[in-house]
Amino acid sequence: MSYQERSDQDLVRLCLRSDERAARELVERFQRPVFSLVYRMVRDRELAEDLTQEVFVRTFNNLSRYDRSYKFSSWLFKIAYNLTVDHLRKKQVKTISMHGSPDAVTPERQEATSLTLESREESPAALVEGRELAGYLEDAIAELRPEYRTAILLRHVEGRAYEEISDIMGVPLGTVKTYIFRARRELRDLLEDLRDEDDVT
Amino acid sequence: MNANKHDKVRHLRPEELEALAMPGGRKLPARSSAHAVECARCLKEAEELRALHSLLQALAPLQPMVGFSDRVMRRVRLPVSWRVRVLETIRAHWVSTTAALAGVVATVGVGFTFIARYPELTPMTVAAFIVERSTALLWGAVMDVGRLVYGTGIVQTAEGIAGQLTLLTAFVAVATVTLVGMASLRIMLSLMDLPTGSRPASAG
Repeated sequence: MSYQERSDQDLVRLCLRSDERAARELVERFQRPVFSLVYRMVRDRELAEDLTQEVFVRTFNNLSRYDRSYKFSSWLFKIAYNLTVDHLRKKQVKTISMHGSPDAVTPERQEATSLTLESREESPAALVEGRELAGYLEDAIAELRPEYRTAILLRHVEGRAYEEISDIMGVPLGTVKTYIFRARRELRDLLEDLRDEDDVT
Repeated sequence: MNANKHDKVRHLRPEELEALAMPGGRKLPARSSAHAVECARCLKEAEELRALHSLLQALAPLQPMVGFSDRVMRRVRLPVSWRVRVLETIRAHWVSTTAALAGVVATVGVGFTFIARYPELTPMTVAAFIVERSTALLWGAVMDVGRLVYGTGIVQTAEGIAGQLTLLTAFVAVATVTLVGMASLRIMLSLMDLPTGSRPASAG
């Protein structure tokens, strides 16, 4: 059986026997979702890469402490969430933009820290429209409180169950429901505001 | 009248709205489904949630820069299995490991040679010799400890206290033995299914 066909739990078991290929497969399997979550929290590509790298390093270096009754991806997201929230607390990052890090002061630095969004549309008009919409949405997500942002991304983008989100964020189930409910409401309002602002300009 | 009747109806809860709006969600109960069809407010909310969910689902997947896994793997220290740990320890301390191994081999070799030279030595005689020597050593140690304790006067003090409590000690001992004896007898009788004093003689 190839490494790609193996389950997460199988790969973890192999990692515990020092199998580097299994570890690499886990990194390749989860680098996109973890990076996406971290990037959408910090909005700086370089920083998101550093943090994502740290997430994987911590995960593997503490693998012997991993409780196998727990889903591996949940454990990974938990580490990612804690690390990112710690970073945000330390840096006290407030607002963020999809057009680069809030700390970027020069256009070059903005370019270096921004991220080009891929679009699934094909025609140029649809591409522009799709990019605009994605831009609105990314900006609106960036405006949410970090807890709301994490909860709504885990629920709607990663498709995680409420119980899992509660485990990842380390808050009660009821709190997760409240976060998601408020995040949706705020997101709808923010999207409307952003569109109105754009229409005016 | 219809409006009043409708006002009393419970609107869909957030999780029910999710089930309605998000594909792959759990199935709605028949009553909630029926409500969803006729309630404009719930339908609107479900529609808004569906739109938001589709938007979020369509968010572009983000990817770190090329070579990300290599960079991670360079920093990762995977847990090491005990076999690898043993081999690494041997490699790191090969001089002391070789000396210890040579010591074990020499001891075993000398032992076998000794046994081979004296055919009258059977495993039983060797074991008896070891037991005898060990017992003598142990007994000697106990005697030494006893001498030490007696020398400190602890024993005399304990004897003095016991002398004062002789009557009481004797009473407690007799009472305990009697109680334990009666309890044991009762348990034995119940195990043998024989009538005891408290059981009527006609029982059974």
